Amino acid sequence: MMGSRATVVAAQLAIILLTLAVWQWAFDLKPYADWLVPGLLDPYFISKPSEIWTQLLRLACLTNPTGDWLLGQDGAVMACLAQNDNNLWIATLVTLTNTLWGFAIGVASGYIVGLLLGQSTFLSRVFEPFLVALNSIPRIALVPIVVMMFGIGDTSKIVTAWLLVFFLVFFNTFEGARQVDQTLVSMSRLLQAKDWQVTSKIIIPSTLTWVFASLTPAISFALIGVIVGEFIGARQGLGRIMMEAQARGQSSVMMATVIVLMTIGVILALGVKSMQTYLLRWQNTGH
Amino acid sequence: MTFAQRDLAVAPASVPANTGPVRIRARGLSKEFEIAGKRLTAVDRVDLDIRKGEFVSLLGPSGCGKSTVLNMIAGLIPASSGTIELDGKPLGAGHFSSKLGYVFQRDTTIPWRTVKKNVGFGLELAGVDRASRDRRVNEAIQQARLNGFENAFPGMLSGGMRQRVSLMRALVMEPDILLMDEPFGALDAHTKTDMHRLLLEIWERQHQTVIFVTHDLAEALTLSDRIILLSARPGRLKEEFVVDFKRPRDAVSLRETPEYAELFSRVWRSLGEEMSKVGA
Ligand SMILES: Nc1ncnc2c1ncn2[C@@H]1O[C@H](COP(=O)(O)OP(=O)(O)O)[C@@H](O)[C@H]1O
Ligand SMILES: [Mg+2]
Repeated sequence: MMGSRATVVAAQLAIILLTLAVWQWAFDLKPYADWLVPGLLDPYFISKPSEIWTQLLRLACLTNPTGDWLLGQDGAVMACLAQNDNNLWIATLVTLTNTLWGFAIGVASGYIVGLLLGQSTFLSRVFEPFLVALNSIPRIALVPIVVMMFGIGDTSKIVTAWLLVFFLVFFNTFEGARQVDQTLVSMSRLLQAKDWQVTSKIIIPSTLTWVFASLTPAISFALIGVIVGEFIGARQGLGRIMMEAQARGQSSVMMATVIVLMTIGVILALGVKSMQTYLLRWQNTGH
Repeated sequence: MTFAQRDLAVAPASVPANTGPVRIRARGLSKEFEIAGKRLTAVDRVDLDIRKGEFVSLLGPSGCGKSTVLNMIAGLIPASSGTIELDGKPLGAGHFSSKLGYVFQRDTTIPWRTVKKNVGFGLELAGVDRASRDRRVNEAIQQARLNGFENAFPGMLSGGMRQRVSLMRALVMEPDILLMDEPFGALDAHTKTDMHRLLLEIWERQHQTVIFVTHDLAEALTLSDRIILLSARPGRLKEEFVVDFKRPRDAVSLRETPEYAELFSRVWRSLGEEMSKVGA
């Protein structure tokens, strides 16, 4: 069957294998068929799967630069890690931590401000033009300023991630707060709900649906913010590894870092997605 | 009084002309809306006396101001002029009396709450402890034959079931006055009759004072002791009909009696005059 799960998985595997094969060997055909192989496939730019794999093991201190396993040897991994205060593990941890902080602070602050402005016609009318103007700035353009203000440590990365996440969550919450079903509010008041109960039992839950919808893009934005911050100026983090490798023309290192970033991105997105599915389980109507 | 205690009360077999105390009194009740700078009188000098334990229907063509009257009584919107009293005390907009229960035409189940938590919403707001909340909610759920769906979310339920949830959410608070705004208006004929049975069953045991808004004459005749007919916009009192069919009533067999047919055609003519004014 064309649509069966097994066929889909088989097709996906085929695509992966084909891509890896082209990536690995296509450029070797260049001397024989110049017209067939685009110059961009040059391993100088994109490296090769085998080299990337070797590089990953080396960066992670699982092997030494000559390719011998360090894993079995007493203290060898530790010694290798100790040589570099931005080894792959530390860099991943730093990038991940800053992403999660930026995400958390951005979601919380975006939500609170969105809720406040969304509930008050006065405040929303006062602030609307400012927010629209701020939102029109390509936020990435602020990164050099942020790094200058907050230094090359973690703070500037968290602030950058926050900048991206805040507006996203803010606008979603704001819209959600304005679209709260007013009949539900009337219904609650008729049941003697106090103001804070209307807020906590109707307005907050109904705006949360809007916020959850923004969490998946928000976590990607946070990661983008941190990486760009690290490009501009950092002592640690995956973005820093990328910049150093670029300066040295080490495409295998850059690619290895990209693989790590992709893995982080997928794991974060899946985590947020499953949280979202659980929290919004009532939206599954069963029809 | 709890639900269970009320169930033990014996209802009279038939309801004589109600001479109980007036619970809701409206005098000169009017409402004007402003739409695009133009004034529109939706309700014009309506007087009402609703007595204790009475089931009164407000009947009239769509747009004649029935909901507006009900919402002024409920305190959801202010009156432009006139007064409303509940048990002799003036009622004002923005003050919601705990004696009142309200059921909307629109689905007002809370989508992220299960059936149980929807029905218990008012009790939760009032800070009723979990044990007695659960007990009262369970009784209400049994009564509305929603058992088995306690933990379902409204999105999984039919329109009729959702409306039963809304009805029980109001009733579980034991209001002694029930305001209902075309609560079954969106339901198909069969589901509607089911709802009439349920409502009659509950009302005949507990005799809440009910103001029931509808544009459906059959529904008004089936349920009420009295029908107040409003004129086409602006809503004025047009005519009043006493519906003295014996109780308890059965929503289906009642409609086959000659008394029903006779009263139906009398009210129908009067309602028809108003309908033709709105071109309905
Ligand atoms: N909030 C409002 N603003 C302006 N006009 C309204 C509003 N509510 C009701 N109306 C108008 O008042 C009239 C009576 O409305 P309503 O009480 O809802 O009628 P009914 O419930 O009998 O169908 C209608 O013409 C309606 O358009
Ligand atoms: Mg209406």
